[in-house]
Amino acid sequence: MSHALPPHKPFELTPERLKEYVVQYATNPIYLDNEEWENDDNPYRRQLRPQVLPYLDFSRVLPRSEILHYEGLAAQRILAAIYESDLMFLPKAGLKDKWDDFKQYYSPSNRALGEIIRPSLEKFAFGFLDQEVEVSGKWTKAELETYLRALEDRDLTQPTLSEIAIEKSTDPVRAAKTWLIQFAPDFLSEASPMLRNVLGYYGPAQSEWFKIIIDEYGYGVHKTKHSHLFERTLESVGLRSDVHHYWQYYLNSSLMVNNYFHYLGKNHELFFRYIGALYYTETALVDFCRRAAELLTKVFGPDVDVEYFTEHIGIDVHHGRMALEKLILPLVEEHGEVIIPEIVRGFEEFQIISDIADRDFADQIAWMDSGPANKELHAPVWEAISSGRVTPPVANIVEPYRELSNTHCHDGDELCHIVSGTMKFVAGFESHQILEAGEGTVINRNRLHGAIIESEECVYEIHSVGDYRACLS
Amino acid sequence: MPVVTFAVEGRDNCVAIGGSAYVYARTEHGSFVLSANCPHRGGPLNLAEFEPGRSRLVCPWHDRAASVTKAIKAGVPAVRHGDRVTAVLPDHDGAGYTLEHRPMSGALARC
Repeated sequence: MSHALPPHKPFELTPERLKEYVVQYATNPIYLDNEEWENDDNPYRRQLRPQVLPYLDFSRVLPRSEILHYEGLAAQRILAAIYESDLMFLPKAGLKDKWDDFKQYYSPSNRALGEIIRPSLEKFAFGFLDQEVEVSGKWTKAELETYLRALEDRDLTQPTLSEIAIEKSTDPVRAAKTWLIQFAPDFLSEASPMLRNVLGYYGPAQSEWFKIIIDEYGYGVHKTKHSHLFERTLESVGLRSDVHHYWQYYLNSSLMVNNYFHYLGKNHELFFRYIGALYYTETALVDFCRRAAELLTKVFGPDVDVEYFTEHIGIDVHHGRMALEKLILPLVEEHGEVIIPEIVRGFEEFQIISDIADRDFADQIAWMDSGPANKELHAPVWEAISSGRVTPPVANIVEPYRELSNTHCHDGDELCHIVSGTMKFVAGFESHQILEAGEGTVINRNRLHGAIIESEECVYEIHSVGDYRACLS
Repeated sequence: MPVVTFAVEGRDNCVAIGGSAYVYARTEHGSFVLSANCPHRGGPLNLAEFEPGRSRLVCPWHDRAASVTKAIKAGVPAVRHGDRVTAVLPDHDGAGYTLEHRPMSGALARC
């Protein structure tokens, strides 16, 4: 009898099996389309639009230029659902009628399918960073410290594109609410990705890591837990604070920011990348939170609760220093220069992701503000199509009353043209246009939107014009 | 040690500091910060080409060759982020730096 072992084969999914498992994962009843815009105190419901997934290809690396395309949004939504099945969520008002959803979300089937597809989706969604960041040369501890401390000299006081977009918005209150909604996936379960690195054993640095978490978790006093402070911020401006209430209004890049830390925390081979990203975020958050508190007060008035942000102004000064002096430098001392490129990489990667999110949010606010203008643009673009001057691909759609197109985006500009009936076209939170027969709207590429039918039936056409400006000449 | 961010290519792709100059080279063997001055007689290494069939850069002035592999692993610590690069440069007695443009040879400007 032979005892020869077969050669080890690393786990790998073929593109066909990946697609099969992705669809199997996302057809779980808790992931189907919602009939409402918002989830109601149900942290297990996450709309993944499984009906579209058979047409998407997650078996490649999404290039930087396509990172905000629909495939990117779909991947980030699925990854958020997968990562968070490691976390504990319970509805605020008790499980009651959500027991089945609770069992489904934490079921072995859901978790196993998620784990099978996760590495491929991570490569698809974050693989572009391999091209975006490249570390070279010989790094020593002294040079790393010089490089990281240079962040302290950088002017981080200037407002981001997102903050400027809120200030200049035609509806700053709506824009600021949309901003807070984007933070919800991160802040309502704040520091959960960090906790992924608490387990195990790695010496004194482990206890230093834990100290940061103790602050984030409010020292065991719930009213000082950072996630609770953020709940109060949301509620003070009339927003709901139940987990993923606003799932459909999360931008691709907002999920990307949150998922990035889960990605680093879930894959422990990326631990050193995590501490580089941690140093950046803890250091940059001080100025960001100061500006955020001022901006929110300016927009909402004195009744907005900004303690979440003012608390971070105080504590993140320490966290940035702790990340550098208690984590990074001792770890380099202990493990050598081999870990430095990963620390540098995490430091740079998170800045890239933050920049993507900043621009994406500013573009979304501009898109929401342009609702009336986009509706007016229907006429000249429709004229180009109806006259035969341009002949883009068209989809003819008939939908019944109350049919809700869950939020999504397109990879190119489109023209929505209403043939009959009434559509409420939703461009974001508290942002819509009513479209009647003969009317329509231009839909900008990569911009999150959805729609609901408000007549007995609505017949409409979607023309994939690519770049609507080409129809205007 | 000055920490300097400059362009990977085009305008401001070179840091001039204390009589030295640095550019970012993107080669088929890897990318790295390159001293633009040959240590031999100061020739323009930003215009160097590879020795045929080898990973050694040849200075256009006196044909002095240097290993690119060594420059990547043991050279100036740097990180490229998109189309910018940040380098921790050797200290030049506190000298300030300026950004300028240097043309790059085809071998050093591969994307």
